[in-house]
Amino acid sequence: MQQLTDNALMIKVKSGDLDKLGLLYERHKKRLFGFFYNLNHNPGLSEDLVQNVFVRMLKYRNSYSGEGSFVAWMFSMARNVRYDHYKKNGPLHTDLTQVEYKIEDDDTVDRQMDRKDNVSLIQRAMLKLEDEKREILVLSKFKEMKFSDIGNLLGCSEGAAKVKAHRALKELKGIVQEMQMI
Amino acid sequence: MEKKGFEIRAMEYLKDALTAREKQSFEDLLEKDDSLNHQFLELKDTWELMDEVVVPEPTDQMDASFFDMLDEEIRLQKEPRGTLKGTMDNLLQWLLKPQLAYALLFLVLLSGYFMNFNRDSKPQVPQTVDNSETEQVREKLVLTLLEQSSANKRLEGVSEANKIGRVDEQVINALLRTLNKDPNVNVRLAAIESLTNYVGDPKVRQGLIQSIPNQESPIIQVTLANLMLALEERKSIEPFKQLLEKPELDTTVKKKIEKTIKSII
Repeated sequence: MQQLTDNALMIKVKSGDLDKLGLLYERHKKRLFGFFYNLNHNPGLSEDLVQNVFVRMLKYRNSYSGEGSFVAWMFSMARNVRYDHYKKNGPLHTDLTQVEYKIEDDDTVDRQMDRKDNVSLIQRAMLKLEDEKREILVLSKFKEMKFSDIGNLLGCSEGAAKVKAHRALKELKGIVQEMQMI
Repeated sequence: MEKKGFEIRAMEYLKDALTAREKQSFEDLLEKDDSLNHQFLELKDTWELMDEVVVPEPTDQMDASFFDMLDEEIRLQKEPRGTLKGTMDNLLQWLLKPQLAYALLFLVLLSGYFMNFNRDSKPQVPQTVDNSETEQVREKLVLTLLEQSSANKRLEGVSEANKIGRVDEQVINALLRTLNKDPNVNVRLAAIESLTNYVGDPKVRQGLIQSIPNQESPIIQVTLANLMLALEERKSIEPFKQLLEKPELDTTVKKKIEKTIKSII
């Protein structure tokens, strides 16, 4: 049977076929988890936020119009969930010693050390960026999110989203260079 | 190139959102301008450095929490009143009626097997008889299952219909009735899929066209639009126009139907 698109599945959820939310969850759970994890580097909290996104999808399923991409709609929910969480609990202070490193078995020791240094460096640099800038960079990394979608999410034009992403990346580059000099 | 233009192009390049020609043109620009090239390479290094962060796998606990939540929602949706009597009635219906239908199928298949067993010397003929009998029983099973109160059983009924090589008029009528009257959208959707196998039959085509204005579910409306488009069925234009007049029609579906009508014309 032909695979249903995300939009078709969400329309089914809207019309009462709640089972189909399970398929959407399987398709997008890792992407959403990655979004939260890249912003807070806290796996436990990221899992809770993923769950909250799907709870919200169920709650507001009748507001789904089917226009535009499902992924963009999902990320708009994810942003709201994240915003509500920090509004309620205050900003998160991440302990970078908790950051997990995944090292491939065939890496050499030098390469492993280099990678570990790089991961630590970029994660620390990302946390020094303002929240909005960090968010636009993380969103820009998702293939499914076009700049027009990001612009819609942030309430700006597609061109403005590209310029914002460029400036955030430039600032991140500056932070990385500063940290390398220390 | 002005600063803003460079910023936009650089991000499009990094996100791989340029056409081959635009990409080449940007690379030519960098080749001619050392300063821009240097700026871009530094950005590219940082962009690629972001990929070094490896996101850990979410735990099984996340899946368990999600499916617990979903199961609970589905349970609440199915049993809005939650009365014990209603639950028991549903349980009894589920246990008894389909079981009878299966028992009937099993008995007839068994008798068919023994009839075949006694005619070893002519294997081809009994096989034909068996197939024909099996199909008759399957048709009866389809009709029985489509009348069940459980949506799952009615879905099984449609699924059984798909296994019949040549369906008779009774089954076609039952499938069309399901398409028009069944309260469950998944069952109606399955009925369309099943009827698609017989679109060569004018009665089936006519039935599908006539059902268009009666459908209220967006997914069914879109599925019928896709089917009529594939069949290039001009007789469906008028029913679709009737559907467009309904004020409660979903805006996305409306656009889809307007597009379908234009394509068929």
